[in-house]
Amino acid sequence: MSNNPLPREIADGIFWLGECLEQRYQGKIYHGYNSTYLIVGTEAAMLVETGHPKDFPVIERQMRNVLQQCKVPLRHLFITHQETPHSGGLGRMLAKYDEISVHADLCDYHLAFPQYTDRMVAMEVGDEIDLGGRKFIAAEPVVRDMRTSLWGFDTGAKALFPGDGFAYSHYHWDGHCGQVAEEATSLDLVEVSSVFAELALFWTNFADMQLYVDRLEQLVAELGVEIVAPTHGLPILDIQKTMPKVCHGLISAGQQAAE
Amino acid sequence: MPFQNVVELSHGKIFALQNEIELDGMVSAYPQSERGYSVSNCYLLRERTAAYLIDTGYGAHEQSILSQLASIIEPDVPLTLIPTRINEFMSVGNGQAIAKVFNVVGSYASQPNIADWLDFEAIDETTTRCEIPTTLLRGLLTLNVGHGGEREIDVFSAPLRLINTTWVYDPETRTLFSSDMFSHRSQPKSGGPWVIEADHISDMSFVRSFLLNTRYWWLEGANTESLRRGIADVHERYEIEMIAPGYGGIFKGRELVDQQFAILDQVLRELDRSVVTPAYVPRGLER
Repeated sequence: MSNNPLPREIADGIFWLGECLEQRYQGKIYHGYNSTYLIVGTEAAMLVETGHPKDFPVIERQMRNVLQQCKVPLRHLFITHQETPHSGGLGRMLAKYDEISVHADLCDYHLAFPQYTDRMVAMEVGDEIDLGGRKFIAAEPVVRDMRTSLWGFDTGAKALFPGDGFAYSHYHWDGHCGQVAEEATSLDLVEVSSVFAELALFWTNFADMQLYVDRLEQLVAELGVEIVAPTHGLPILDIQKTMPKVCHGLISAGQQAAE
Repeated sequence: MPFQNVVELSHGKIFALQNEIELDGMVSAYPQSERGYSVSNCYLLRERTAAYLIDTGYGAHEQSILSQLASIIEPDVPLTLIPTRINEFMSVGNGQAIAKVFNVVGSYASQPNIADWLDFEAIDETTTRCEIPTTLLRGLLTLNVGHGGEREIDVFSAPLRLINTTWVYDPETRTLFSSDMFSHRSQPKSGGPWVIEADHISDMSFVRSFLLNTRYWWLEGANTESLRRGIADVHERYEIEMIAPGYGGIFKGRELVDQQFAILDQVLRELDRSVVTPAYVPRGLER
Protein backbone atom coordinates (compact mmCIF):
# COMPACT_ATOMS: atom_id res chain seq x y z
CA MET A 1 0.00 0.00 0.00
CA SER A 2 1.56 3.33 -1.10
CA ASN A 3 1.82 6.60 0.86
CA ASN A 4 2.08 4.87 4.21
CA PRO A 5 2.32 7.68 6.78
CA LEU A 6 3.95 5.45 9.37
CA PRO A 7 6.19 5.28 11.37
CA ARG A 8 4.93 8.05 13.58
CA GLU A 9 6.00 9.10 17.05
CA ILE A 10 2.75 9.39 19.00
CA ALA A 11 4.31 10.18 22.37
CA ASP A 12 7.80 10.70 23.70
CA GLY A 13 9.65 7.50 22.82
CA ILE A 14 6.64 5.64 21.44
CA PHE A 15 6.61 4.99 17.72
CA TRP A 16 3.59 3.63 15.85
CA LEU A 17 4.48 1.14 13.11
CA GLY A 18 2.46 -0.82 10.59
CA GLU A 19 0.35 -0.66 7.49
CA CYS A 20 -3.39 -0.61 6.86
CA LEU A 21 -5.36 -3.53 5.51
CA GLU A 22 -8.77 -3.59 3.87
CA GLN A 23 -11.83 -4.85 5.69
CA ARG A 24 -14.93 -5.35 3.57
CA TYR A 25 -18.22 -5.11 5.39
CA GLN A 26 -21.72 -4.65 4.03
CA GLY A 27 -20.59 -3.12 0.77
CA LYS A 28 -18.07 -0.73 2.31
CA ILE A 29 -14.29 -0.98 2.44
CA TYR A 30 -13.01 -0.01 5.84
CA HIS A 31 -9.35 0.02 6.76
CA GLY A 32 -7.83 -1.58 9.81
CA TYR A 33 -4.46 -1.98 11.42
CA ASN A 34 -2.38 -4.78 12.89
CA SER A 35 -0.16 -2.21 14.53
CA THR A 36 3.08 -2.61 16.37
CA TYR A 37 4.70 -0.06 18.63
CA LEU A 38 8.33 0.61 19.40
CA ILE A 39 9.03 1.89 22.92
CA VAL A 40 12.43 3.50 23.27
CA GLY A 41 14.05 3.91 26.67
CA THR A 42 17.48 5.21 27.51
CA GLU A 43 18.99 1.73 27.69
CA ALA A 44 16.81 -0.49 25.52
CA ALA A 45 13.97 -0.54 23.06
CA MET A 46 11.01 -2.88 23.02
CA LEU A 47 8.70 -3.84 20.20
CA VAL A 48 5.09 -4.45 21.21
CA GLU A 49 3.45 -7.04 18.93
CA THR A 50 4.95 -8.35 15.70
CA GLY A 51 2.16 -7.37 13.35
CA HIS A 52 0.49 -9.50 10.72
CA PRO A 53 2.78 -12.00 8.99
CA LYS A 54 2.42 -10.17 5.68
CA ASP A 55 3.52 -6.86 7.23
CA PHE A 56 6.85 -8.04 8.57
CA PRO A 57 9.00 -6.48 5.83
CA VAL A 58 7.29 -3.11 6.27
CA ILE A 59 7.39 -3.16 10.06
CA GLU A 60 10.97 -4.32 10.20
CA ARG A 61 12.06 -1.55 7.86
CA GLN A 62 10.16 1.10 9.83
CA MET A 63 11.60 -0.21 13.10
CA ARG A 64 15.13 -0.29 11.76
CA ASN A 65 14.89 3.33 10.63
CA VAL A 66 13.68 4.46 14.06
CA LEU A 67 16.33 2.47 15.89
CA GLN A 68 19.05 3.95 13.71
CA GLN A 69 17.89 7.43 14.62
CA CYS A 70 17.44 6.72 18.33
CA LYS A 71 20.64 4.70 18.66
CA VAL A 72 19.17 2.44 21.36
CA PRO A 73 19.46 -1.33 20.99
CA LEU A 74 16.36 -3.47 20.51
CA ARG A 75 16.31 -5.91 23.38
CA HIS A 76 12.72 -7.01 23.95
CA LEU A 77 9.62 -8.14 22.13
CA PHE A 78 6.30 -8.16 23.99
CA ILE A 79 3.30 -9.97 22.52
CA THR A 80 -0.25 -9.61 23.81
CA HIS A 81 -1.44 -13.04 22.68
CA GLN A 82 -0.92 -16.01 20.40
CA GLU A 83 -3.06 -15.11 17.38
CA THR A 84 -1.02 -14.72 14.23
CA PRO A 85 -1.84 -11.05 13.50
CA HIS A 86 -0.15 -10.32 16.85
CA SER A 87 2.58 -12.95 17.07
CA GLY A 88 3.08 -14.22 13.52
CA GLY A 89 6.35 -12.39 13.08
CA LEU A 90 7.94 -13.86 16.21
CA GLY A 91 10.11 -16.37 14.38
CA ARG A 92 11.39 -13.86 11.87
CA MET A 93 12.11 -11.25 14.52
CA LEU A 94 14.15 -13.71 16.53
CA ALA A 95 15.92 -14.93 13.39
CA LYS A 96 16.92 -11.41 12.41
CA TYR A 97 17.68 -9.92 15.83
CA ASP A 98 19.98 -12.19 17.81
CA GLU A 99 19.83 -10.25 21.04
CA ILE A 100 16.14 -9.88 21.69
CA SER A 101 14.03 -11.93 24.05
CA VAL A 102 10.29 -12.52 23.87
CA HIS A 103 8.09 -11.56 26.81
CA ALA A 104 4.53 -12.82 26.99
CA ASP A 105 2.22 -15.49 28.32
CA LEU A 106 4.24 -18.17 26.60
CA CYS A 107 1.53 -20.74 25.88
CA ASP A 108 1.80 -22.37 22.45
CA TYR A 109 5.00 -20.66 21.29
CA HIS A 110 7.04 -23.80 22.04
CA LEU A 111 4.80 -25.57 19.51
CA ALA A 112 4.80 -22.77 16.93
CA PHE A 113 8.48 -21.81 17.15
CA PRO A 114 10.25 -24.63 19.02
CA GLN A 115 13.67 -23.46 17.91
CA TYR A 116 13.43 -20.29 20.02
CA THR A 117 12.17 -21.46 23.41
CA ASP A 118 15.45 -20.51 25.08
CA ARG A 119 14.76 -16.87 24.28
CA MET A 120 11.29 -16.68 25.73
CA VAL A 121 10.52 -15.14 29.11
CA ALA A 122 7.16 -15.71 30.78
CA MET A 123 5.26 -12.69 32.05
CA GLU A 124 2.31 -12.34 34.35
CA VAL A 125 0.28 -9.28 35.32
CA GLY A 126 2.52 -6.96 37.32
CA ASP A 127 5.84 -8.14 35.91
CA GLU A 128 8.12 -5.34 34.75
CA ILE A 129 10.80 -4.73 32.15
CA ASP A 130 13.14 -1.77 32.70
CA LEU A 131 13.98 0.04 29.46
CA GLY A 132 15.94 2.83 31.16
CA GLY A 133 13.99 5.88 32.19
CA ARG A 134 10.73 4.01 31.78
CA LYS A 135 9.27 0.62 32.61
CA PHE A 136 6.95 -1.69 30.76
CA ILE A 137 4.50 -3.47 33.03
CA ALA A 138 2.28 -6.41 32.06
CA ALA A 139 -1.31 -5.41 32.71
CA GLU A 140 -4.70 -7.05 33.07
CA PRO A 141 -6.26 -7.83 29.66
CA VAL A 142 -9.81 -6.63 30.20
CA VAL A 143 -11.13 -7.00 26.64
CA ARG A 144 -9.54 -10.09 25.14
CA ASP A 145 -10.31 -13.27 23.27
CA MET A 146 -7.73 -15.89 24.14
CA ARG A 147 -7.49 -16.77 27.84
CA THR A 148 -3.74 -16.27 27.59
CA SER A 149 -3.82 -12.58 26.66
CA LEU A 150 -1.85 -9.86 28.43
CA TRP A 151 -1.88 -6.11 28.06
CA GLY A 152 1.04 -3.76 28.71
CA PHE A 153 1.59 -0.33 30.25
CA ASP A 154 4.48 2.04 29.64
CA THR A 155 5.30 4.28 32.58
CA GLY A 156 7.16 6.80 30.44
CA ALA A 157 4.20 8.03 28.43
CA LYS A 158 1.52 6.42 30.61
CA ALA A 159 0.52 4.45 27.54
CA LEU A 160 -1.69 1.37 27.57
CA PHE A 161 -1.08 -1.35 24.98
CA PRO A 162 -4.39 -3.22 24.98
CA GLY A 163 -3.95 -5.70 22.12
CA ASP A 164 -7.50 -6.41 20.98
CA GLY A 165 -8.97 -3.77 23.25
CA PHE A 166 -10.02 -0.41 21.74
CA ALA A 167 -10.30 -2.11 18.37
CA TYR A 168 -11.98 -0.32 15.52
CA SER A 169 -11.64 0.35 11.82
CA HIS A 170 -11.19 3.70 10.06
CA TYR A 171 -12.16 5.35 6.80
CA HIS A 172 -9.47 5.33 4.16
CA TRP A 173 -11.70 7.50 2.00
CA ASP A 174 -11.51 10.30 4.58
CA GLY A 175 -7.73 10.16 4.95
CA HIS A 176 -7.70 8.58 8.40
CA CYS A 177 -4.74 6.31 7.72
CA GLY A 178 -1.90 7.26 10.02
CA GLN A 179 -4.03 9.64 12.07
CA VAL A 180 -4.71 9.33 15.74
CA ALA A 181 -8.34 9.01 16.81
CA GLU A 182 -8.73 12.68 17.67
CA GLU A 183 -7.49 13.76 14.24
CA ALA A 184 -9.95 11.50 12.43
CA THR A 185 -12.82 13.87 13.15
CA SER A 186 -15.24 12.29 10.67
CA LEU A 187 -14.78 8.83 12.16
CA ASP A 188 -17.92 7.49 13.78
CA LEU A 189 -16.18 5.67 16.60
CA VAL A 190 -19.36 4.11 17.88
CA GLU A 191 -20.08 2.64 14.46
CA VAL A 192 -16.60 1.35 13.67
CA SER A 193 -16.12 -0.08 17.16
CA SER A 194 -19.38 -1.91 16.77
CA VAL A 195 -18.44 -3.18 13.29
CA PHE A 196 -15.10 -4.46 14.50
CA ALA A 197 -16.69 -6.17 17.46
CA GLU A 198 -19.14 -7.91 15.19
CA LEU A 199 -16.41 -9.02 12.78
CA ALA A 200 -13.59 -9.97 15.11
CA LEU A 201 -14.71 -10.03 18.73
CA PHE A 202 -17.57 -12.48 18.38
CA TRP A 203 -18.01 -12.92 22.13
CA THR A 204 -18.74 -9.24 22.69
CA ASN A 205 -22.03 -9.76 20.87
CA PHE A 206 -23.24 -12.11 23.59
CA ALA A 207 -21.63 -10.98 26.84
CA ASP A 208 -22.72 -8.11 29.05
CA MET A 209 -20.14 -5.60 27.86
CA GLN A 210 -21.06 -3.04 30.51
CA LEU A 211 -19.17 -5.24 32.99
CA TYR A 212 -16.05 -5.05 30.83
CA VAL A 213 -16.40 -1.35 30.18
CA ASP A 214 -16.69 -0.77 33.94
CA ARG A 215 -13.54 -2.75 34.62
CA LEU A 216 -11.76 -1.03 31.75
CA GLU A 217 -12.52 2.36 33.24
CA GLN A 218 -11.25 1.17 36.60
CA LEU A 219 -8.03 -0.12 35.08
CA VAL A 220 -7.43 3.11 33.21
CA ALA A 221 -7.84 5.04 36.48
CA GLU A 222 -5.69 2.60 38.48
CA LEU A 223 -2.80 2.82 36.04
CA GLY A 224 -3.19 6.52 35.26
CA VAL A 225 -3.46 5.83 31.53
CA GLU A 226 -3.14 8.91 29.32
CA ILE A 227 -2.58 7.32 25.93
CA VAL A 228 -3.97 4.15 24.37
CA ALA A 229 -2.00 2.34 21.66
CA PRO A 230 -4.25 -0.43 20.32
CA THR A 231 -3.20 -3.13 17.89
CA HIS A 232 -6.37 -2.74 15.82
CA GLY A 233 -7.39 0.88 16.24
CA LEU A 234 -6.04 4.38 15.77
CA PRO A 235 -4.03 5.49 18.79
CA ILE A 236 -5.93 7.55 21.33
CA LEU A 237 -4.18 10.60 22.72
CA ASP A 238 -7.14 12.21 24.53
CA ILE A 239 -8.57 9.45 26.61
CA GLN A 240 -11.20 11.58 28.32
CA LYS A 241 -12.68 12.57 24.99
CA THR A 242 -12.35 9.37 22.99
CA MET A 243 -12.64 6.44 25.34
CA PRO A 244 -16.37 6.90 26.03
CA LYS A 245 -17.15 6.62 22.34
CA VAL A 246 -15.22 3.38 21.96
CA CYS A 247 -16.90 1.95 25.03
CA HIS A 248 -20.29 2.94 23.71
CA GLY A 249 -19.48 1.07 20.51
CA LEU A 250 -18.60 -2.06 22.45
CA ILE A 251 -21.83 -1.97 24.37
CA SER A 252 -23.82 -1.22 21.21
CA ALA A 253 -22.51 -4.32 19.46
CA GLY A 254 -23.92 -6.52 22.17
CA GLN A 255 -27.22 -4.71 22.27
CA GLN A 256 -27.67 -4.97 18.51
CA ALA A 257 -26.91 -8.66 18.57
CA ALA A 258 -29.47 -9.18 21.31
CA GLU A 259 -32.13 -7.56 19.16
CA MET B 1 9.59 -39.13 20.38
CA PRO B 2 6.10 -37.71 20.83
CA PHE B 3 3.27 -40.01 19.82
CA GLN B 4 2.09 -39.54 16.26
CA ASN B 5 -0.33 -41.55 14.22
CA VAL B 6 -2.29 -41.69 11.00
CA VAL B 7 -5.79 -43.01 11.58
CA GLU B 8 -7.97 -44.09 8.68
CA LEU B 9 -11.31 -42.91 10.02
CA SER B 10 -13.25 -44.00 6.97
CA HIS B 11 -11.82 -46.46 4.48
CA GLY B 12 -9.84 -44.51 1.92
CA LYS B 13 -11.89 -41.38 2.57
CA ILE B 14 -10.72 -39.63 5.77
CA PHE B 15 -7.38 -39.81 7.46
CA ALA B 16 -6.58 -38.11 10.76
CA LEU B 17 -3.00 -36.91 11.01
CA GLN B 18 -2.50 -36.90 14.76
CA ASN B 19 0.39 -35.43 16.72
CA GLU B 20 0.36 -35.64 20.46
CA ILE B 21 0.77 -32.61 22.72
CA GLU B 22 1.67 -32.75 26.39
CA LEU B 23 -0.67 -30.77 28.60
CA ASP B 24 1.61 -28.99 31.03
CA GLY B 25 -0.22 -25.70 31.48
CA MET B 26 1.41 -24.26 28.36
CA VAL B 27 -1.25 -25.02 25.77
CA SER B 28 -3.85 -22.28 25.39
CA ALA B 29 -6.49 -24.65 24.03
CA TYR B 30 -6.65 -26.46 27.38
CA PRO B 31 -7.19 -25.26 30.95
CA GLN B 32 -3.99 -24.17 32.61
CA SER B 33 -4.49 -26.72 35.38
CA GLU B 34 -5.17 -29.69 33.11
CA ARG B 35 -2.49 -32.36 32.85
CA GLY B 36 -2.13 -35.30 30.55
CA TYR B 37 -2.03 -35.40 26.76
CA SER B 38 -4.03 -34.37 23.77
CA VAL B 39 -3.56 -34.47 20.01
CA SER B 40 -3.72 -31.94 17.26
CA ASN B 41 -5.73 -33.35 14.36
CA CYS B 42 -5.31 -32.46 10.71
CA TYR B 43 -7.71 -34.27 8.41
CA LEU B 44 -7.07 -35.43 4.87
CA LEU B 45 -10.16 -36.03 2.74
CA ARG B 46 -9.06 -38.16 -0.20
CA GLU B 47 -10.62 -38.94 -3.53
CA ARG B 48 -9.17 -40.53 -6.62
CA THR B 49 -8.31 -37.26 -8.36
CA ALA B 50 -7.73 -34.81 -5.48
CA ALA B 51 -7.59 -34.28 -1.75
CA TYR B 52 -8.51 -31.65 0.82
CA LEU B 53 -6.53 -30.96 3.99
CA ILE B 54 -8.35 -29.50 6.96
CA ASP B 55 -5.78 -27.63 9.07
CA THR B 56 -2.01 -27.92 8.81
CA GLY B 57 -0.78 -28.26 12.40
CA TYR B 58 1.89 -26.64 14.56
CA GLY B 59 5.35 -25.85 13.28
CA ALA B 60 6.81 -28.27 15.81
CA HIS B 61 5.05 -31.08 13.96
CA GLU B 62 6.18 -30.07 10.48
CA GLN B 63 8.29 -33.11 9.68
CA SER B 64 5.72 -35.45 11.13
CA ILE B 65 2.88 -33.95 9.13
CA LEU B 66 4.84 -33.96 5.90
CA SER B 67 5.70 -37.58 6.51
CA GLN B 68 2.12 -38.45 7.42
CA LEU B 69 0.82 -36.78 4.27
CA ALA B 70 3.39 -38.55 2.13
CA SER B 71 2.17 -41.87 3.49
CA ILE B 72 -1.30 -41.18 2.12
CA ILE B 73 -0.95 -39.16 -1.10
CA GLU B 74 1.60 -38.69 -3.83
CA PRO B 75 3.16 -35.19 -4.08
CA ASP B 76 1.43 -34.44 -7.38
CA VAL B 77 -2.13 -35.01 -6.16
CA PRO B 78 -4.04 -31.72 -6.31
CA LEU B 79 -4.39 -30.65 -2.70
CA THR B 80 -6.66 -27.92 -1.33
CA LEU B 81 -6.23 -26.41 2.12
CA ILE B 82 -9.03 -25.46 4.49
CA PRO B 83 -7.59 -23.80 7.61
CA THR B 84 -10.44 -23.76 10.08
CA ARG B 85 -8.94 -21.07 12.33
CA ILE B 86 -6.84 -18.80 10.15
CA ASN B 87 -5.58 -16.79 13.16
CA GLU B 88 -4.09 -19.76 14.99
CA PHE B 89 -0.78 -21.54 14.63
CA MET B 90 -2.41 -24.94 15.14
CA SER B 91 -4.38 -24.42 11.92
CA VAL B 92 -1.87 -22.61 9.70
CA GLY B 93 1.55 -23.52 11.08
CA ASN B 94 2.63 -25.75 8.19
CA GLY B 95 0.76 -24.29 5.23
CA GLN B 96 3.89 -23.09 3.48
CA ALA B 97 5.89 -26.22 4.29
CA ILE B 98 3.14 -28.35 2.76
CA ALA B 99 2.86 -26.11 -0.30
CA LYS B 100 6.59 -26.50 -0.95
CA VAL B 101 6.39 -30.29 -1.07
CA PHE B 102 2.87 -31.06 -2.27
CA ASN B 103 0.78 -29.81 -5.16
CA VAL B 104 -1.34 -27.25 -3.27
CA VAL B 105 -3.72 -25.88 -5.87
CA GLY B 106 -5.94 -23.71 -3.73
CA SER B 107 -7.41 -22.82 -0.40
CA TYR B 108 -10.73 -21.86 1.11
CA ALA B 109 -10.42 -19.28 3.85
CA SER B 110 -12.24 -16.49 5.63
CA GLN B 111 -9.67 -13.95 4.39
CA PRO B 112 -8.27 -13.30 0.91
CA ASN B 113 -4.79 -14.37 -0.08
CA ILE B 114 -4.11 -17.21 2.31
CA ALA B 115 -0.38 -17.05 1.61
CA ASP B 116 -0.26 -13.84 3.68
CA TRP B 117 -1.55 -15.83 6.66
CA LEU B 118 0.88 -18.72 6.30
CA ASP B 119 4.08 -16.73 5.95
CA PHE B 120 6.11 -17.22 9.12
CA GLU B 121 9.49 -17.89 7.56
CA ALA B 122 10.19 -15.41 4.78
CA ILE B 123 12.39 -12.72 6.27
CA ASP B 124 12.47 -10.22 3.48
CA GLU B 125 10.97 -9.53 0.09
CA THR B 126 13.61 -11.60 -1.67
CA THR B 127 12.67 -14.84 0.08
CA THR B 128 10.27 -16.84 -2.01
CA ARG B 129 7.05 -18.23 -0.73
CA CYS B 130 4.38 -20.34 -2.36
CA GLU B 131 1.42 -18.33 -3.56
CA ILE B 132 -1.87 -20.19 -3.12
CA PRO B 133 -5.10 -19.26 -4.91
CA THR B 134 -7.71 -18.45 -2.29
CA THR B 135 -11.48 -18.63 -2.45
CA LEU B 136 -13.27 -16.62 0.21
CA LEU B 137 -15.60 -18.49 2.51
CA ARG B 138 -18.89 -16.67 2.92
CA GLY B 139 -22.05 -18.28 4.17
CA LEU B 140 -22.53 -21.94 3.30
CA LEU B 141 -20.41 -23.31 0.46
CA THR B 142 -20.63 -26.75 -1.09
CA LEU B 143 -17.27 -27.86 -2.43
CA ASN B 144 -16.26 -30.75 -4.66
CA VAL B 145 -13.44 -32.94 -3.48
CA GLY B 146 -12.12 -34.26 -6.76
CA HIS B 147 -13.26 -33.70 -10.29
CA GLY B 148 -16.69 -34.41 -11.68
CA GLY B 149 -18.53 -34.06 -8.42
CA GLU B 150 -17.06 -37.21 -6.90
CA ARG B 151 -17.68 -36.00 -3.41
CA GLU B 152 -19.27 -32.87 -2.00
CA ILE B 153 -18.62 -31.29 1.38
CA ASP B 154 -20.33 -28.36 3.08
CA VAL B 155 -18.20 -25.58 4.56
CA PHE B 156 -19.71 -22.93 6.83
CA SER B 157 -19.04 -20.57 9.69
CA ALA B 158 -19.09 -22.18 13.12
CA PRO B 159 -22.23 -21.20 15.06
CA LEU B 160 -20.20 -20.90 18.26
CA ARG B 161 -16.71 -19.51 17.91
CA LEU B 162 -14.10 -17.24 19.43
CA ILE B 163 -13.04 -15.70 16.14
CA ASN B 164 -13.53 -16.66 12.47
CA THR B 165 -13.88 -20.43 12.55
CA THR B 166 -14.94 -22.89 9.89
CA TRP B 167 -16.80 -26.16 10.27
CA VAL B 168 -16.94 -28.79 7.54
CA TYR B 169 -19.50 -31.54 7.01
CA ASP B 170 -18.82 -34.56 4.82
CA PRO B 171 -22.07 -36.37 3.96
CA GLU B 172 -20.29 -39.34 2.45
CA THR B 173 -18.78 -40.29 5.80
CA ARG B 174 -21.30 -38.40 7.95
CA THR B 175 -18.46 -36.57 9.66
CA LEU B 176 -18.54 -33.10 11.17
CA PHE B 177 -15.13 -31.42 11.37
CA SER B 178 -15.73 -29.14 14.33
CA SER B 179 -12.43 -27.27 14.71
CA ASP B 180 -12.22 -26.00 18.31
CA MET B 181 -15.60 -27.35 19.43
CA PHE B 182 -16.12 -30.81 20.98
CA SER B 183 -12.38 -30.73 21.67
CA HIS B 184 -12.53 -31.52 25.35
CA ARG B 185 -11.35 -35.12 25.47
CA SER B 186 -7.74 -35.49 26.53
CA GLN B 187 -6.06 -38.59 28.02
CA PRO B 188 -4.08 -39.02 31.24
CA LYS B 189 -1.29 -40.88 29.47
CA SER B 190 0.48 -40.71 26.17
CA GLY B 191 -0.68 -42.97 23.37
CA GLY B 192 -4.40 -42.36 23.35
CA PRO B 193 -6.87 -43.76 22.57
CA TRP B 194 -7.66 -40.86 20.27
CA VAL B 195 -10.74 -42.30 18.61
CA ILE B 196 -13.44 -42.55 21.24
CA GLU B 197 -16.36 -44.92 20.84
CA ALA B 198 -17.59 -44.85 24.41
CA ASP B 199 -17.34 -41.81 26.64
CA HIS B 200 -17.84 -42.05 30.38
CA ILE B 201 -15.97 -38.84 31.15
CA SER B 202 -17.79 -36.09 29.28
CA ASP B 203 -20.72 -34.86 31.29
CA MET B 204 -22.30 -31.49 31.87
CA SER B 205 -19.87 -30.51 34.60
CA PHE B 206 -16.79 -31.63 32.68
CA VAL B 207 -17.71 -29.88 29.43
CA ARG B 208 -18.86 -26.75 31.23
CA SER B 209 -15.58 -26.48 33.07
CA PHE B 210 -13.58 -27.13 29.90
CA LEU B 211 -15.35 -24.40 27.99
CA LEU B 212 -15.14 -21.82 30.77
CA ASN B 213 -11.46 -22.49 31.41
CA THR B 214 -10.39 -22.16 27.80
CA ARG B 215 -11.41 -19.93 24.91
CA TYR B 216 -15.08 -19.90 25.89
CA TRP B 217 -14.39 -18.25 29.27
CA TRP B 218 -17.02 -15.60 28.39
CA LEU B 219 -20.05 -17.91 28.15
CA GLU B 220 -21.14 -17.76 31.77
CA GLY B 221 -23.99 -15.28 31.99
CA ALA B 222 -23.92 -14.61 28.25
CA ASN B 223 -26.90 -14.59 25.90
CA THR B 224 -26.59 -18.18 24.69
CA GLU B 225 -30.02 -18.69 23.15
CA SER B 226 -29.00 -17.94 19.56
CA LEU B 227 -25.79 -19.94 20.00
CA ARG B 228 -27.85 -22.95 21.04
CA ARG B 229 -30.14 -22.49 18.04
CA GLY B 230 -27.20 -22.34 15.67
CA ILE B 231 -25.67 -25.53 17.03
CA ALA B 232 -29.02 -27.31 17.07
CA ASP B 233 -29.55 -26.31 13.46
CA VAL B 234 -26.31 -28.04 12.47
CA HIS B 235 -27.27 -31.15 14.41
CA GLU B 236 -30.70 -31.26 12.79
CA ARG B 237 -29.54 -30.41 9.28
CA TYR B 238 -26.87 -33.07 9.02
CA GLU B 239 -26.72 -36.76 9.82
CA ILE B 240 -23.61 -36.87 11.93
CA GLU B 241 -21.99 -40.14 12.95
CA MET B 242 -18.53 -38.82 13.75
CA ILE B 243 -17.29 -35.57 15.30
CA ALA B 244 -13.73 -34.80 14.26
CA PRO B 245 -12.40 -31.84 16.25
CA GLY B 246 -9.22 -29.93 15.45
CA TYR B 247 -7.71 -31.25 18.67
CA GLY B 248 -8.63 -33.84 21.23
CA GLY B 249 -10.28 -37.22 20.92
CA ILE B 250 -12.49 -38.00 17.91
CA PHE B 251 -16.05 -39.10 18.73
CA LYS B 252 -17.22 -42.05 16.64
CA GLY B 253 -20.76 -43.39 16.62
CA ARG B 254 -24.21 -41.84 16.23
CA GLU B 255 -25.20 -42.34 19.84
CA LEU B 256 -21.99 -40.78 21.10
CA VAL B 257 -22.37 -37.85 18.72
CA ASP B 258 -25.90 -37.20 19.91
CA GLN B 259 -24.70 -37.40 23.49
CA GLN B 260 -22.06 -34.72 22.86
CA PHE B 261 -24.56 -32.38 21.23
CA ALA B 262 -26.99 -32.91 24.08
CA ILE B 263 -24.34 -32.14 26.69
CA LEU B 264 -23.25 -29.00 24.88
CA ASP B 265 -26.83 -27.80 24.60
CA GLN B 266 -27.44 -28.42 28.28
CA VAL B 267 -24.26 -26.57 29.21
CA LEU B 268 -25.18 -23.57 27.09
CA ARG B 269 -28.72 -23.55 28.46
CA GLU B 270 -27.46 -23.50 32.04
CA LEU B 271 -24.88 -20.81 31.33
CA ASP B 272 -27.44 -18.45 29.83
CA ARG B 273 -27.96 -15.03 31.41
CA SER B 274 -31.48 -16.08 32.35
CA VAL B 275 -29.96 -18.69 34.66
CA VAL B 276 -26.62 -17.19 35.71
CA THR B 277 -25.97 -13.59 36.62
CA PRO B 278 -23.13 -12.33 34.45
CA ALA B 279 -19.96 -11.13 36.13
CA TYR B 280 -16.61 -9.83 34.94
CA VAL B 281 -14.20 -12.70 34.26
CA PRO B 282 -10.61 -11.84 35.11
CA ARG B 283 -7.60 -13.49 33.52
CA GLY B 284 -6.69 -16.76 35.11
CA LEU B 285 -10.04 -17.51 36.72
CA GLU B 286 -10.80 -21.24 36.66
CA ARG B 287 -14.30 -22.56 37.34
